[in-house]
Amino acid sequence: MRKLSLLVCSLVLLSLAACGSSSNDLPPIPAGSGGGGDTPVATTASIMGKISFEGEVPKPGKIITSADPNCKKELFTEDTKVSDGGLENVIIYVSGGDVAGKSYPVPSTPVEIDQMDCHYIPHALVIQVGQKLAVKNGDMTLHNIHTLGEANTTWNVGQAQQGMVNDHVFDKPEVLLPVKCDVHGWMRAFIAVLNNPFGTVSSQGGKYELKLPAGKFEITAIHEKYGKQTAMVEVKDNDHSTVDFKFKASDAKSGN
Amino acid sequence: MSRSVRVADSLHEEGENIGLHRFALFTACCTALLIFIGGLVTSTESGLSVPDWPTTYGWNMFAFPVSKWVGGIFYEHSHRLAASFVGFLTLILAFWTWVAEKRQWVRMLAVAALGTVMAQGILGGLTVMLFLPTSVSMAHACLAQTFFCLIIAITLFTSPRWKQGLPIAHPSADADSSISLPALCATTTAAIYVQLLLGALMRHTDSGLAIKDFPLSFGRIIPPFTSSHIAIHFSHRVGALIVSVMIVWTFLRVRSAYRKYDLLRRPATVMFSLLWLQLTLGASTVWSSKAVLITTAHVATGALVLGTSVLLTLRAWTMIPARSAEPSKPSRPSRPAGEDARVPSWQ
Repeated sequence: MRKLSLLVCSLVLLSLAACGSSSNDLPPIPAGSGGGGDTPVATTASIMGKISFEGEVPKPGKIITSADPNCKKELFTEDTKVSDGGLENVIIYVSGGDVAGKSYPVPSTPVEIDQMDCHYIPHALVIQVGQKLAVKNGDMTLHNIHTLGEANTTWNVGQAQQGMVNDHVFDKPEVLLPVKCDVHGWMRAFIAVLNNPFGTVSSQGGKYELKLPAGKFEITAIHEKYGKQTAMVEVKDNDHSTVDFKFKASDAKSGN
Repeated sequence: MSRSVRVADSLHEEGENIGLHRFALFTACCTALLIFIGGLVTSTESGLSVPDWPTTYGWNMFAFPVSKWVGGIFYEHSHRLAASFVGFLTLILAFWTWVAEKRQWVRMLAVAALGTVMAQGILGGLTVMLFLPTSVSMAHACLAQTFFCLIIAITLFTSPRWKQGLPIAHPSADADSSISLPALCATTTAAIYVQLLLGALMRHTDSGLAIKDFPLSFGRIIPPFTSSHIAIHFSHRVGALIVSVMIVWTFLRVRSAYRKYDLLRRPATVMFSLLWLQLTLGASTVWSSKAVLITTAHVATGALVLGTSVLLTLRAWTMIPARSAEPSKPSRPSRPAGEDARVPSWQ
């Protein structure tokens, strides 16, 4: 009888552990060129689509990198990256709807951004409030990481050696939060700090996929240069809806 | 004491004083260069490329390897080293003046310059640590100009010519005497200083291209004030107009009334010439979308205009008798007018 009780208890514990594991081990959000890491929230539906680009695609500008001989010679601006008619580096995230008033567990895995060949990889990324951002210096040169948040406190730290990693945590939601390197003035990255785990970045061909729980959501697509658009979407369990966005060349913000 | 010993002492003192004057002049030149390098830091947006202070990426700033002076670090680190050098020069200048100078007020001026350069260093550190807040960055920019003026004043006051006494200057009989030249020069200097303040505000609020056309503003004479950036930018343009009028007025007044006095005519002519250079650089800054060298040259030339105006003002105040003493009512009837008449130069 005692052995039977132990067996039952063990089975219950194992099944509980398995349940926990099934919710925690969901595949990470496909994040295009950057994403929020693992999502410790059950996501049973998804939306996917394409961020198309209309109008003349601006030619990427060649960056003069002669100020630092350690930087790659051939670097181009990344503010408009279009492939197969789709705009890359657009951040798509849940900005309202059934996420309002809810709190979500913070993923334990950090979101990583690397400085390689004097540019940021990825160029755009999503992170959750409280989640760790790990900034790595993959270059044989010096960088400083300088966040230009308005809601979040400014962070500016130097990395003098290759391989250095510095961590930072944002404590308030903020979209978009630019990151720059003052050593190499052309280096820019953009972060969406969200208070939910539902965000991703468009990749090759402007495609994206955003995993969601069932519910009604406001979806925002935002780009550093072409502004933002929103759409309302309602998904049920196992739904796979399509939501496309279109950005126009004429929407480009002019620099000051 | 024998006569020969006294002559030797006098020559020795003269030599020391010329040395002090030349050292002050050297410090003034280095300060002008420092202002240019500081302008480069802002123009290249390198102010935060070295996040720590007073260290540089953890190194003692004087031991930071030259191989690591890359990108924005080159400008920011050069600025820190140049600032340290000028600080060191000012320390020597203050010490030298304190030891060699008999005039108490000149000694105090040198001490004030030392205090100013120390405060300037602290402001420079603060602006890095606080991530370039507009107020601190502006204070840093304006204190730089104030320090430059102080060093120019010390250079002037320690010059042998000043100590020998400057000639009393009387205006030509047919000259317009509606306003005294010293008052006009002082007003011009104040206007230039305010204009530099507006320029610093424009740079540190990133309003330099808020109005992208010139000489018109959005195709109009008065732009639509849809943002504070436009208002700040336009106020700098209005300031340029006011300063231009003041400098041209000062120059014409010197030319018409004090033409024969080189000590007044030369700085007035230099200031007038610098004005045109400065206006060209200002317009070119807009037309070139803030090209780094043009924008920085605009900042440095602004400092030179101010410095020249300070020099002219100090000479005018010393050489020209009080308002009531101009030709119609001479205040020094016992002194002969012209180059031979000397004033004691506040000694």
